[in-house]
Amino acid sequence: MRSRLLAFLLILLFGLPFGLLGLLAVGEGWRFPAALPPVYSLNVFRSLLAADNDLLAGLGRSLLLAGTVAVAATAGGFVLARAIARSRRAARLEAASYLPYALPPVLLAVLIQPFIIRLHLSGSVGGVLLGLLLVALPFATLLLGSFWSGQTTEYEHLARTLGCTPRQALRQVLLPLAWPRLRTALVQTFLLSWFDFGLTNVLSVGKVRTLTVQVFTYVGEANAPLAAVASLLLVLPPAVLLLVNKSALLRKP
Amino acid sequence: MSELLTVAHLSKQFAAQPVLRDISFALNQGEVLAVLGRSGCGKTTLLKILAGLEAADAGTLHLQGQDLHPVPPNARQMVYLYQEPLLFPHLTVFENVAFGLRIRKVAKAEIDQQVSEMLDELDLRQHAQKAPNQLSGGQRQRVSFGRALIIRPRLLLLDEPFGNLDAQTRADMQQLFLRVSRQHQITSLFVTHDSREALTVGTRFGYLDQGALTSFASVAEFVQDARTAIGSELAFWESIQQTSRSSG
Repeated sequence: MRSRLLAFLLILLFGLPFGLLGLLAVGEGWRFPAALPPVYSLNVFRSLLAADNDLLAGLGRSLLLAGTVAVAATAGGFVLARAIARSRRAARLEAASYLPYALPPVLLAVLIQPFIIRLHLSGSVGGVLLGLLLVALPFATLLLGSFWSGQTTEYEHLARTLGCTPRQALRQVLLPLAWPRLRTALVQTFLLSWFDFGLTNVLSVGKVRTLTVQVFTYVGEANAPLAAVASLLLVLPPAVLLLVNKSALLRKP
Repeated sequence: MSELLTVAHLSKQFAAQPVLRDISFALNQGEVLAVLGRSGCGKTTLLKILAGLEAADAGTLHLQGQDLHPVPPNARQMVYLYQEPLLFPHLTVFENVAFGLRIRKVAKAEIDQQVSEMLDELDLRQHAQKAPNQLSGGQRQRVSFGRALIIRPRLLLLDEPFGNLDAQTRADMQQLFLRVSRQHQITSLFVTHDSREALTVGTRFGYLDQGALTSFASVAEFVQDARTAIGSELAFWESIQQTSRSSG
């Protein structure tokens, strides 16, 4: 009974902001002190279907950026973590992987901005992508570092003596062994990129309007219905990701 | 008997520290060379060089007259078995045993037949569809054996394969190894730090100490060598026996 009550309270606690966002999105003329909106309308959602809708374009841009960052950072992190583990200076290199965290992403963006301009990537998706990768790649490298243990090397060696070429050992043994960690790295780097505002805002110079950037803009303009719809769209992919990876996240160590 | 493996003047050092010193020996078809040695004596490095997983600084390796130097590990047909069974956790028992055949792109019907026969031989048929984590330590080691044997290795390299098993399971596995070795005429290099295990599984004997290998011409020589400590162990058990007799 107690645990049920606790579960109900937790669901209420987590669900309340989403309920409120839904009400803000569909409610019209909702003013204090009214407890609920006087009129409900789906106009904001209907406008999403319009071909030139900015929110849907932002959603697509965010998905493209976060998806690319997740795949590139996870693949790069897997290779880099292996190189670090096999290096004679593994401990030093691993410590160097923490360096990007000495700076908040927004400050990192300010520091790399001159280079992004020289590369003619300022205000482009490519520039934002490069900046996000600088944050996500070390993160994925650190996350995947523990995979390259002595036992992983033994698995690889065993596979080689059983007849695998290096490529077969990677595909048939190492990647399946690493899959739970790779999945975690994909989800984490996707979320890292998906929710980033500071770095994206600086490097995009207002031209690459991701969904997170749009939410901040609408909040700044006091456009509650659009801010609410954008926020709902913003939480949708992470919610799907968490749902899909529920079994992995709830797995006991 | 035909000479299968010839190792001549093998040397290896790590960071100017010699690990293997001028090792030479030959192994005939069907022989089991039991190499006794303590931790850090260089036995793992020796096995890794034979498997092609490490490169020697000097010396030659020939298998059936073929120079092994340019041959990569996957083409040597030598399987390295570790202390841990290292079963692939994403595959069932059946698929673990079938692994080497699938890599070699053997026909499905042939794989099914060979794996089923191997599972029967190792008394694992009823566990075929289980995941590795559903097996006991001894069962896992049997699967590991089956996975190695099914590709008919020219040489089996065993690095203290029963080191993590309890005494009874270890004794059972030693008997299984003997039976399967004789039945399939498998040539092996069996490294262990347990003199009793060496005497149980070996047909020839060696002692590796600080990277230098001593080969013995007979079991008697191996037993009498003070470094193997077999003589002192025998004396210990005899004294226990005498004590128990005199007190009884």
